[in-house]
Amino acid sequence: MNILLLLIPLSLLILAGAVWVFFWAVNQGQFDDLETPGLLPLDDSDKKRTPPE
Amino acid sequence: MPSSPNCWHCGEALRQDVVIHARVAGATRPMCCQGCRAAAEWIEQLGLSDYYALRTSAAQRPDAEADPATHDYWRQDNARHVIRDLGDGLRESLLLVEGVRCTACVWLIERSLGALPGVVSVQVNAVAQRARVTWRDSQVTLPQLLQALARTGYHALPLDARGLDDLRRRESRDALKRLMVAGFGAMQAMMYATAIYLGAEAALDASTRDLLRWLGLLVATPVVFYSAQPFFAGAWRSIRTRRIGMDVPVALAIAAVYAASVIEALRGSGEVYFDSISMFVFFLLVGRYLEMRARHRARDLTDALARLTPPFAERKCADGTLQRVGIHELRVGDCVRVAEGGIVPADGVLLSERCRVDEALLSGESAPVTKRRGALLIAGSVLEDGPVLVQIERTGADTTLAGIAALVGRAAAARPRLQVAGEAAAGRFVVRVLVLTAITAVAWAVVDPARAFAAAIAVLVISCPCAFALAVPAALTRALGALARRGVLVVKPDAIQALAECTHALFDKTGTLTEVTLSADVQTFGGMSRDDALCMAATVARESRHPVARAIAAAHPGMQGASVSGITTQAGLGVSATIDGRALRLGRADFALGERHTREYDGAVLLADDSGPIAAFRVSERLRADACAAIDALRAQGVAVLVASGDAPSKVASIAARLNVAWRARLLPADKLAWVAELRAEGARVLAVGDGVNDAPVLAGADVAIALAEGSELTQASSDIVLKGARLDSIASARDIAQRTLAIVRQNQRWALYYNFSTVPLAALGFIPPWLAALGMSLSSIGVILNALRIGRDPASRPAGPASPARVPAEAFPRPAA
Repeated sequence: MNILLLLIPLSLLILAGAVWVFFWAVNQGQFDDLETPGLLPLDDSDKKRTPPE
Repeated sequence: MPSSPNCWHCGEALRQDVVIHARVAGATRPMCCQGCRAAAEWIEQLGLSDYYALRTSAAQRPDAEADPATHDYWRQDNARHVIRDLGDGLRESLLLVEGVRCTACVWLIERSLGALPGVVSVQVNAVAQRARVTWRDSQVTLPQLLQALARTGYHALPLDARGLDDLRRRESRDALKRLMVAGFGAMQAMMYATAIYLGAEAALDASTRDLLRWLGLLVATPVVFYSAQPFFAGAWRSIRTRRIGMDVPVALAIAAVYAASVIEALRGSGEVYFDSISMFVFFLLVGRYLEMRARHRARDLTDALARLTPPFAERKCADGTLQRVGIHELRVGDCVRVAEGGIVPADGVLLSERCRVDEALLSGESAPVTKRRGALLIAGSVLEDGPVLVQIERTGADTTLAGIAALVGRAAAARPRLQVAGEAAAGRFVVRVLVLTAITAVAWAVVDPARAFAAAIAVLVISCPCAFALAVPAALTRALGALARRGVLVVKPDAIQALAECTHALFDKTGTLTEVTLSADVQTFGGMSRDDALCMAATVARESRHPVARAIAAAHPGMQGASVSGITTQAGLGVSATIDGRALRLGRADFALGERHTREYDGAVLLADDSGPIAAFRVSERLRADACAAIDALRAQGVAVLVASGDAPSKVASIAARLNVAWRARLLPADKLAWVAELRAEGARVLAVGDGVNDAPVLAGADVAIALAEGSELTQASSDIVLKGARLDSIASARDIAQRTLAIVRQNQRWALYYNFSTVPLAALGFIPPWLAALGMSLSSIGVILNALRIGRDPASRPAGPASPARVPAEAFPRPAA
């Protein structure tokens, strides 16, 4: 059972990390719009864009 | 697609006489107009022709009206309130972009704006139709950005910069954080609790057990103090106002169970329920979060200021000409002209003889109010007949506008009846549960005090109102989303229920079931040339928004610089005006000629003055491509379809015969309304579909109203549902989804009830340990959510894009011998 003394704090650390990452993502606005980014993978980004003259 | 008779860019039918082509992605494509060609070539030039592959519906037709002068209005001084200064020469604005139909539009807007030098970032939200743009002031200006959007066919309107850091974003971010903390906490607490429960069998040693309990306390504490905060705040609010809301029992339960568990953990004996409490908070928050998203979505669609105030007004200059100015340029004492169906831009006094305005957004009274000369018109009210002249008395922040915004905000925040009923049921349920819990505790305290607390908690937890609370918001959220994806924007959430229950559908004919075009053959009287007659008619027709008037006005630019006065519009009949001293009437024969009319001109649009007819115009109507399919689909659902028209009986009859529906012709708006009232008196629930100004009373009088997005503001303001892109076939699928939603809500509520009926007695008798109670509660909530997800899954009601064979020319439908 001693392994718990290592594993439980470890799980808590991971939990804290997950919450921190999530808060960071929310504050960055990653969850503000859940509908639009669905299309982004369809974009051929290696295609060269020419700016308008 | 290349061989289709439709424009490659906007999907409009091509004109036979003009041939315009553009090269897109190496192939020559047909275009309907120079505007579309310019848009397509510009898209091609930017290397964005993928747009045509990605889009799911045809583009907005670039509007010739989008002239540079319009965009020039947003010069620095005028645009101060819509631009936020980020420092370092960076500026930010929020644009309301009209005509965003699918995610390909989003992609196109982001790429085409992003390609401009000086644009730092572009974020587009398709559902809200908002674009947030950041740019470098030294390299590009707001008018240039708007111009670039107009070239791709999107009209953009800068919104007040205060919208940039809105409360709403903070609200949704906070809710998401709380939800996640509760979710993580619940997961962990459940894990430790499971170890304790299993350990009870496998002789867990006391120190490990205590450790696990303390850990439970550790993870549950942020859940109670951070995530559950809204419940405590809500409970405190309702206690202060002496009302028992749903938050009170919830907060009480959370606080009691948490406090009891902390005491037990400190004492090191008895049971702890950190897992149950975390789960409880988590599921309640899921319900709240779903409800909040549905609310926000509804508010996007009915955005107060964007919808209520026009960005421009027509100011009358000293020399009598009209000048288009932004409403922020209006000064007290200015005289502005408001067209029929238009919105009054600022508070002012009526200078014209009389008019009728709809002040529903202000007073909640849907019947239009008649105003006489000198009466006060309020910004945001919609003109029913017009046009009129208004002298401005209060502008900007002084107007009743702030009040209107608050009113609309409140209307958008109003919860659907269905949901209020659901919450009330849940609230009553919670009170009963608390009573039951107390009875259980007392009864067990008498019989076996050691088990009293466990049994009471089991009752409290297993009978969680989550399933009840989630039943309605989960289904409504899903339904609103599924409908929006089909181009059906639900403005008033109550409409879902009304749509599902409707038995009769009343369609307007002109402009709704049909599209109007002016036929080339014009009959003139008294030796007038065709062009002169058309010119005169177009000058009068400009004053009305009726589809026929629009078709005539589109055929000729009309007289320039003529003095037009005494314009009155009679809904359903026609327009009259005095042009250069000559009193003209344009409209139905009986209107234009008065008592002298003969049946000869039935079905024609007549231009006449006091001495007799001047010209007779024939308008040809084409059935919308999807009208037949849409009506057949509604009929298949058992809805009686009716056509109500102000048009001549012969024309209505031919359209009605093709659609095989009952009809009435020559109806004035009041007659249509009377028909609706008659149907309703017979017990029918009426769905009204319309587009024009003269449909507004009918739409307001029906149980549920659908307006086409192309129609006037007035029509949209009095409707419950707005149909984007005039896709009539989505009405039937929308009704299907609405019915499914109601069925699922009922299923959900029944399921929650059965679950509670069967489990609460067992829990009260002590057969169910708290951990099983928590599991049951969670599963019942998940069941409700999964059930709601079935809405809109039906493959039969999948949205059809223009690439599919949905666009069938009207001629493809059998036409009876005329």
